[in-house]
Formats: sequence, structure tokens, C-alpha cells
Amino acid sequence: MSLTCQVPWPPVASRGVTLLGGAFIPSAKNLYLGRAQRKGSEGLWLGGEAQVQQETACDSRQTCEETPERQGWADAISPALSEADPHLLAFQASELGISEEGSCPGKGNGAARFPAQSRRDAAVMAEAVWSTDTGEAVYRSRDPVRNLRLRVHLQRITSSNFLHYQPAAQLGKDLIDLATFRPPPTASGHRPDEDEEEEVVIGWQEKLFSQFEVDLYQNEAACQSPLDHQYRQEILKLENSGGRKNRRIFTYTDSDRYTNLEEHCQKMTTAASEVPSFLVERMANVRRRRQDRRGMEGGILKSRIVTWEPSEEFIRNSHVINTPLQTMYIMADLGPYGKLGYKKYEHVLCTLKVDSNGVITVKPDFTGLKGPYRIETEGEKQELWKYTIDNVSSLAQPEEEEREQRVFKDLYGRHKEYLNSLVGTDFEMTVPGALRLFVNGEVVSAQGYEYDNLYVHFFVELPTSNWSSPAFQQLSGITQTCVTKSLGMDKVAYFSYPFTFEASFLHEDESADALPEWPVLYCEVLSLDFWQRYRVEGYGAVVLPATPGSHTLTVSTWRPMELGTVAELRRFFIGGSLELEDISYVRIPGTFKGERLSRFGLRTETTGSVTFRLHCLQQSRAFMESSSLRKRMRSVLDRLEGFSQQSSIHSVLEAFRRARRRMQEARERLPQGLVGPSGARSPSSLQPRPSVQEDKPSAI
Amino acid sequence: MAEVHVIGQILGATGFSESSLFCKWGIHTGAAWKLLSGVREGQTQVDTPQVGDMAYWSHPIDLHFATKGLQGWPRLHLQVWSQDSFGRCQLAGYGFCHVPSSPGTHQLDCPTWRPLGSWREQLARAFVGGGPQLLHGDAIYSGADRYRLHTAAGGTVHLELGLLLRHFDRYGVEC
Repeated sequence: MSLTCQVPWPPVASRGVTLLGGAFIPSAKNLYLGRAQRKGSEGLWLGGEAQVQQETACDSRQTCEETPERQGWADAISPALSEADPHLLAFQASELGISEEGSCPGKGNGAARFPAQSRRDAAVMAEAVWSTDTGEAVYRSRDPVRNLRLRVHLQRITSSNFLHYQPAAQLGKDLIDLATFRPPPTASGHRPDEDEEEEVVIGWQEKLFSQFEVDLYQNEAACQSPLDHQYRQEILKLENSGGRKNRRIFTYTDSDRYTNLEEHCQKMTTAASEVPSFLVERMANVRRRRQDRRGMEGGILKSRIVTWEPSEEFIRNSHVINTPLQTMYIMADLGPYGKLGYKKYEHVLCTLKVDSNGVITVKPDFTGLKGPYRIETEGEKQELWKYTIDNVSSLAQPEEEEREQRVFKDLYGRHKEYLNSLVGTDFEMTVPGALRLFVNGEVVSAQGYEYDNLYVHFFVELPTSNWSSPAFQQLSGITQTCVTKSLGMDKVAYFSYPFTFEASFLHEDESADALPEWPVLYCEVLSLDFWQRYRVEGYGAVVLPATPGSHTLTVSTWRPMELGTVAELRRFFIGGSLELEDISYVRIPGTFKGERLSRFGLRTETTGSVTFRLHCLQQSRAFMESSSLRKRMRSVLDRLEGFSQQSSIHSVLEAFRRARRRMQEARERLPQGLVGPSGARSPSSLQPRPSVQEDKPSAI
Repeated sequence: MAEVHVIGQILGATGFSESSLFCKWGIHTGAAWKLLSGVREGQTQVDTPQVGDMAYWSHPIDLHFATKGLQGWPRLHLQVWSQDSFGRCQLAGYGFCHVPSSPGTHQLDCPTWRPLGSWREQLARAFVGGGPQLLHGDAIYSGADRYRLHTAAGGTVHLELGLLLRHFDRYGVEC
């Protein structure tokens, strides 16, 4: 049954019209097939093809008659195809391809192959979502680069690819055997399959010759350098052994002239007048010479640090980047069939750069999941080629990798043990329950004072309770006498006087709630000049910082004054001034008892300031416990995921610990007799035993 | 044992009246400290300030200590000298600072002083050069006999030190 007349005008026809700009001439049969194909799903396809089958079964003659027309139409289409945009091309071609198949299905087999063929072609067309991202990718590998293997697959996209048709097997007798039917050569020329598709696995720096090179080097006169001669030998050997295995794909290795020329003359912009700049020339020189002298890397001259007359070579090594780089180009000769071996048809497929640190740069990147890359050739016939690059280097065996890992682990473990043995595990510890304060400090400077030739006399006073210091400790110091210099508005004297100070705090009285008192640093600035005039310039005091770390303290000072001019005049001419008997008066005098300190009556004048830089360290066993406890708590609670309860549980545990310690101490204080072997008082001592042993005194 | 890494640089110096300055530096530690790697003293190059006042050295300091105790924390002492066009070296200042004890980066300004002689010597120094120097260099980093000295203030040396401390918390040291 012919179904054609009843089929309405399907949209696919209109699509065809818009896309191909009118080159598509729909016919009724085409329309039908387009519709069937549009259904898409296999079930419907089958249904559709069943109908088609029926139709062709009946109308085979008709179908065959149509074919010449169709062929002519295909002819008309193909140039249009090659001119249209590949994306739309692929899409439209898929429809046309399948419809083309549908138009000449031949037998049931051909129909049965519809889904397979269509699927395959659909897959082909689906993957021809071209990848336009040809940026380079950088890989790093510790393995030797000679294990690198790439597979390059090059394929031409032509109309015959879309309209790829395979002869159908014969099923029925009365049907014309369409196996004899082959699509006649299209306008672009019919080629055998091998020429349209090629796949080669290439290793690193593996030289594959192009047709051009084969032709060139066979001629002895063309060989100039030893490399050319070597190539010639290889080519002759190849010819003798049956030709080379690659046809269109070939490579340029690092030692070829192309590599150097390409690096030198590569254009970056569209400017017509782009010439390689001075820097390019220099870099090219470096790279070219790099092949001859690979071992030389910008060495440091040990004997002379400065070179007054750098040589050309030195300039080249030092002024431009000198990392040895090995390059390899994978090329393709995309000339028309039968015309291979012309330089103008060579295109670069892939550039590989490897440097001595195991960095491999591949431009463009491996295809992977992206679509293939495409090249459009120019010339009277524009053609489209697509190619993919895959990394097929064999991976290291897992056992080898494991062995390598183990060796590395051993090596690093041994090195770590060696370092640990150097360091050791001793450290001086504090007495338990003591806090050790360790201060490294320096008197840095004094500024803003009236007279010259200043020196600072300072000392540290420890509080009377709970603090102690080692016997050999020197808690006071006198700096050198320094002549001031002007710094901005101030006159400043620099001392840089070092001192260290160590003290221990033993918290014996646990019940006291008072905060511990911290040591105080008193300082006194005096001036003593050439005429031995001795003057007090200022008194000051500062409490040592309670937090560990680096602190820069500025102590402002004052000096006592007397009313009237006589004292000042005396101070100016002869020297000598009011002094404090007890420097601790600066803060709280040692003799102070009472609640309110009154300084009423003391007249002072503000003088300059002294800068101290202190680095404080604190050491105590308590810090060890709490930090380890905190660490343990954190790990347990991390597992339980109870972050919010961390602090409360921690405090509960601390309280428990404290109580337990108190109980232990209390137990130790009790007389031994009271405590029985079980650690508890025996009940017999408390209550009189009933009945029998009433008369006996209880054994205590 | 605890470990201390001192990694930083001597940036340069400002405030010196002389130009063409170089610096000799050293790190002095107590008996409980062991130097695992690095050089504990050195000398910078000679630098002349071009713009402004600061002579730049950017001299690296990279040391690794192991210690058994807190005493003898490393101290850095400096001597700044100037070199004139005839190649003569003249003392510009002695400086000192403790290596900080808290981990992190620290910007340190280390002021310097130089010993003064009599007024004759000062005059000679102004015209001809030379001048008194310390007999024993350890007076720079110890304070015992400092009171005998009569000095003048010199410039300031700027340092940037980064400190890494290891295992101090195992021994209960808070820093």
C-alpha cells in the first residue's frame, strides 16, 4: 500500500528549506520517510519500517525508479552540505541520511538494519558536537616520558560519511538485488575507506615520515645534515620492508628543522607586519642550542659573584628562560587524495612539549569526553576533518606502584627517624604545681629626656608571696651611658641592653581567691655627663605582662621636683637633684600598710619614656595536662559529634578531677590507724557490736 | 626536645649617617641549644641607599635549633660597618635583639650604638675615620660590663623574623 498521498506535509521539509537555503527539493516520498524518521523511537521505527517494508515490497519497482532521481538529488545536496555549517550539517544530514536509507531500504534486512544504522549514525552525529576548546593542558608525571603513547584518530567528514550506505543482503528472490548498487562517486570524489580514516599510535619522539619527506629524502642530493642522511637510511629501510604504516599522520620531532622554524616564526596576531622581536630571537637561539648542550642549565658561578663583562652565552643563559624543553609535533597531511606530499596541506594536529621536570604540555588537550577537534581545509574544495587524541600510555602495574610507594615510605620514615634522633626527647620540666615565668628582654631606648648621656638602671621586684627565683639570678642591671641623637622632634638614646629573667610561682595557698601578683619592673633613668654631673631624669615602673608572647612596653617616667628655682638652678649647674629613697614608691611602697595610698605633697615633673621589649614564656605542668585533655576530649566528642557539650563536660571532668585530688590529699593527711586496709573506717569503731562482743572494746 | 625554626631576613638599616653599609650578624645561644641546620653567623653585602635613607640587604636567616630547656634563648647580635671608596671599614654601630619567643612573623627594629672615645678621637673619626671598637664582641649580647661604656646612638637595623616552634606544648610551655 502506498501511503504517500495521505501523508501531510511534515515540518521536516520546511526545516530542510530553511537550512539549506532551498537546495532541498522535497518530494512526496521523502516527506513520508522524513515523518517516519522523526518519530525517533525504535518501536515506532520498526512500525514505520514495517510499513516501509510493505511498501517497498510492493513498490520495489517504483522505488528503484525513484533512485536515479534521488541520486541526482543527493548530488545536488552534497555541495550544499559541505558549505553549510557543520552543526546544522550534521543534524540535517542525519535526517537526510536516514531518510536516504529509508528511501532505498532494499530488503527486510536493510529495514532491520535501520535502527542499527540509524543509531550508529546518530551516535556519529551526536559525537560530532565539535570541541572548539583547543587550549593547552599541562600534565605532570614522574614517570619517564618515553612511556608516553598517544593515539590519534583522523577522519574526514564528507557527504559520503553521512550518507554511508552498506549494501544489503538479498532476502527475497523477486526483489532486485541492491547489493550491486553502490552510491556512485559524489562530486567530491569517491575514496576508499582507508584514505578517509586513519588511526596511529605514536610514542614520544617517534618519527613518522610524511609523504613529502619520503619523496624528499629518497633523493640523495637533498640530504645535507647527518640527520637527513639518517632519515634517508630509515626511509629506504622502510620502503624495503613494505612501506610505512602511516599515510596522512606524521610527526616532527625535536631535531627537525620544522620545530625551530615554527618556534621562531610563529605568529601570534593577525597583524601582517608581525616580525619576531628581539626577545623571540634570543629565546629561539637558546632553544636551538639547547639541543646541542642539554646538560647545561643556568649554573651559578661559584668563584666570582659579579661578572662585569658577560659573554653572549652568559646573556643567553641568564636573561631568558632556559629550561630545556623537548617539543614534538603531530601533523597531518590533508591534501586531496592522490596528492599527498605537498607542504601546503600540512596541518598541526597536536603539539607536545616536555621539560626536564616532568611537565608535559599538550595542545590541544586529549579528547576525552569532549567531542573531536576539527580542521577545515582551505582551497578550492573546503573539507572538514575531525580528529581525536587519546592518551593510551600503559599505566604502571599496581604491584610496581605499590613497591615504589613502599620504597618512598621507607626512605622518608628513615629520614624522619634520623631527624628525631638528632633532636632527642629531653626537656627540663618544672616542679608539679609551679608556674615558671621566663622573660627575655631588652632595654631598647630612652627618649624625650632633657639631658644627654643617659643610662637606665632597672630591676625586677618579685611579689613577696608565692614567688621565687633561682639563686644565681640577677634581677637588676645598668645599661651603658649613651649620648643621644635627634630623631624627629625627640632626642633618643639607644641601649639594646639584653637581660633574661626567670621566676617560679608556686600556688601553695589554694583557698585564696586573690589573683596572683605579678612581678614588677622598675626603672630609673639617670644622666651622667663629662663633668660628672649626676642627675635623676625619671622613675617609672611597669608590671610584667601576664600573657606569653612578645610585648613592647613604653614606660613613662617622672621625676620629683622642688618648688622654687634654687633646686632647678642647682640641678642645672652642679647636678644632683631630689631622689627617691625607695624606688618602689613609684608603685606601692614596700612599707605601705593600709587601704588608701596618698601621695599628697609629692611634686613631680613628667619626663620622657623608656622602651622595653619583652618576650615572655610560661611553663607549667598544668598546661600539659589541660592541652592533652582538651585534645582527648576533642577527639572523643568529634566522634560523638557533641560540639556544644564540649565545654560543660570538660568542666565537669575538671571538677571531678579536682575533687578526687582533694580526697586523696585528705586521705593522706589522716592518721594511718584510722584508715583500714580497704581504705574506709571499719564499722566496728563506729558502732558497738551487738550481742556477743559487747564487753570487748572494739579494736581500733 | 623542642625545636625552633628561625626563618627571616635582615631587611636593611636606616638612620645611619654613613652610607655604603654592611652588617655582620650572628646568633648566640645557650648551652642547652643545638644547631641542627643553618649558618649561625654571616655578613651581608655592602649597600648604598639610593632613594631615601634605607640601605637594603635582604639577607636571609634560616636556622633550625633543638633545645633541652628555655635558658639561653637565641640572641641576635649585629655589627654595622661602613665601607668607603678606599675600601676602609669603619664601625657604625653595634646592635642586639633577642629572637622572639612567640610563633609567627615579627618585625623587629634593632637600634644600634657605637662606643665613643675622647673628643680628640671623635674629631679624628670625623675627619680621618676609624674610632674605638669593642675588644670583645660578646659585650654586645651580654650586659655585664656595659656600664663601663660611653656610647653614642647609631641607626636602626630592621629585621623580619618568622618563628616556628615545635613540641613546646608537650613540655607545658606556653609561648
